[in-house]
Amino acid sequence: MNYVIIGNGVAGVTAAEAIRQIDARGQITMISDESHPPYCRPMISNLLEGAVDVSRLPIRGPDFYDRLSITPTLGSRVTSLDVNARTVTTKGGQIFAYDRLLIAAGADPRPLDAQGLDLGGIFFMRNIAQVQEMIAALADTRHALVLGGGLVGFKAAYSLLKRNIGVTMLIRSGYPLSMQVDETAGEMIQQVLCDHGLTVRTGISVTAFEGGGRVQTAHLSDGSQVPCDMAIIGKGVFPAHGFVPTDRIDTDAGILVDDHMATSAPGIYAAGDVAEHIDIARQKRWVNAIWPEAAAQGRVAGFNMAGRALAYRGSLSRNVIRMFDTDVMTAGRVSPRDTDETCRFFSAADHRRQTYRKLVFEDQILVGFVMINQIEQGGVLASLIQSRTPVKISAHHLLDPGFNVSRLFDR
Amino acid sequence: MKQVIVHPERCVGCMQCMLACAAAHSKTGALISAISESPRPRPRIHVGAGRYDEGFPNRCRHCDPAPCQMACLPGAIYRQTTTNTVLINPDVCINCASCAMACPYGVIRYHADPLAPADKTIAVKCDNCIARQHKGLIPACVEVCKVGALTFEEMDAAMKKKTDQVARSMSAEAIAADHAPGFSLLNTIKRAQKEINLSR
Repeated sequence: MNYVIIGNGVAGVTAAEAIRQIDARGQITMISDESHPPYCRPMISNLLEGAVDVSRLPIRGPDFYDRLSITPTLGSRVTSLDVNARTVTTKGGQIFAYDRLLIAAGADPRPLDAQGLDLGGIFFMRNIAQVQEMIAALADTRHALVLGGGLVGFKAAYSLLKRNIGVTMLIRSGYPLSMQVDETAGEMIQQVLCDHGLTVRTGISVTAFEGGGRVQTAHLSDGSQVPCDMAIIGKGVFPAHGFVPTDRIDTDAGILVDDHMATSAPGIYAAGDVAEHIDIARQKRWVNAIWPEAAAQGRVAGFNMAGRALAYRGSLSRNVIRMFDTDVMTAGRVSPRDTDETCRFFSAADHRRQTYRKLVFEDQILVGFVMINQIEQGGVLASLIQSRTPVKISAHHLLDPGFNVSRLFDR
Repeated sequence: MKQVIVHPERCVGCMQCMLACAAAHSKTGALISAISESPRPRPRIHVGAGRYDEGFPNRCRHCDPAPCQMACLPGAIYRQTTTNTVLINPDVCINCASCAMACPYGVIRYHADPLAPADKTIAVKCDNCIARQHKGLIPACVEVCKVGALTFEEMDAAMKKKTDQVARSMSAEAIAADHAPGFSLLNTIKRAQKEINLSR
């Protein structure tokens, strides 16, 4: 059997490992446009912050490819896929034939529509190389502009503030992390960063950058200007399936996969940020481009590719962020854009302890939560969402910081 | 291999396991000196109140596969197969709390630890007292438990015991045997108190 894996991220890695558990002899080729061996993508913000050095990012040992007899083709992006001929072609013209193909190509940062994007000092924050360029530019950076109030924007802003660089964040929506949290939590998070020097401007975007070689000024949509010597674009990501023939493989936002991570084309599977399965909390098709789901999906895809039928239970959007002394954990449907009149809400806040938590139920099923501080029990709540277990106890018990899992047991 | 087995129906909520656990994971290893250590040793077993205020010793199940291990960003969480123990390498942990989001039992805590690099906040959880086991001792929580709510047994033997109990109770002629009558009485009283209070 000849396996080809497009992508060298955690989905591709866990898939290769799952394949090798079952098939010791099949050929495995991994193709990636990044030239680094497999590393932990979420930790690039720790790298920017200076909390870890680059040697801490690899998720497997240097012998990973040898140990699993994998042929890596790094620094080479796949540009086309021929479903009939069962081949993929890279930008450099290399052709790879496959019996089983995994598309774990990840996602690309959403571009910004503004003038002057060719200036130096303007970055996406998606991979090690970009963060290393940012770090190299830090010595000459006094003020940075972060575009977007999502997770990447927040992590970038936090990392730069930790390095004592002034940061202005521009967000189009009313409050930060509006995809993940409700307004109360969003404002608490914003306040923490503002207390440490962040400037936030809402309902505004960049129209043009200006500078001689390197960016010096950003022109904003309200006609004002902000001086900046670095800009980070954090406007989200989109699945990297531009090379996929959409007339042969069903795609929506992502590549559609069934419970076995198989696409609509024979022998082709997809996993990770590029794949679209079912969201457990929303009970509909959704791309949850997060690291733990990529790891889980890759594993399921790998087993199925090697012949062991294994079903995936669906994904759950979730995140945890620690910024200064504040912890934020969120999962499922919390943002107003994800909730409606069928939802019941329960919340509690303790200003002295700086805690806030909100639970979202549909009937007796927990479908979302956000917690600020005292997040230790968050995993219990996340697993309640994932298992869709009807919650028979009062929601107020779940809101209690002293809550523990035994309350859920009916003895 | 022997493992810690929890018998929640016997727990009276005395929290002595928490104290013993904290002492066992202190620098000095003894309660009397541990209380004055800095950072203060903290327990890795957490006695909580159940629905009727009955005690429940909540500790790491050392799941296999372990969700915390799969979620760990820097790869600090690993399994020691000889003792079937999921462990956290304090040097590698970056305190990102990804494991908190993954643990379905809520047993991971985040703080400085006497046995970790100084002043570093890290994820901390039960390690099955492997240091004590190496010295031929049993886990501290089991040693101190006075009511048999925590035992250290061969998993197969413990499973067989429980299977036999369940099998016996399935027989139509069997009088439901109460394996821990004193604890049942205690928990019944706690439950009654709770229900009477609730009905007010």
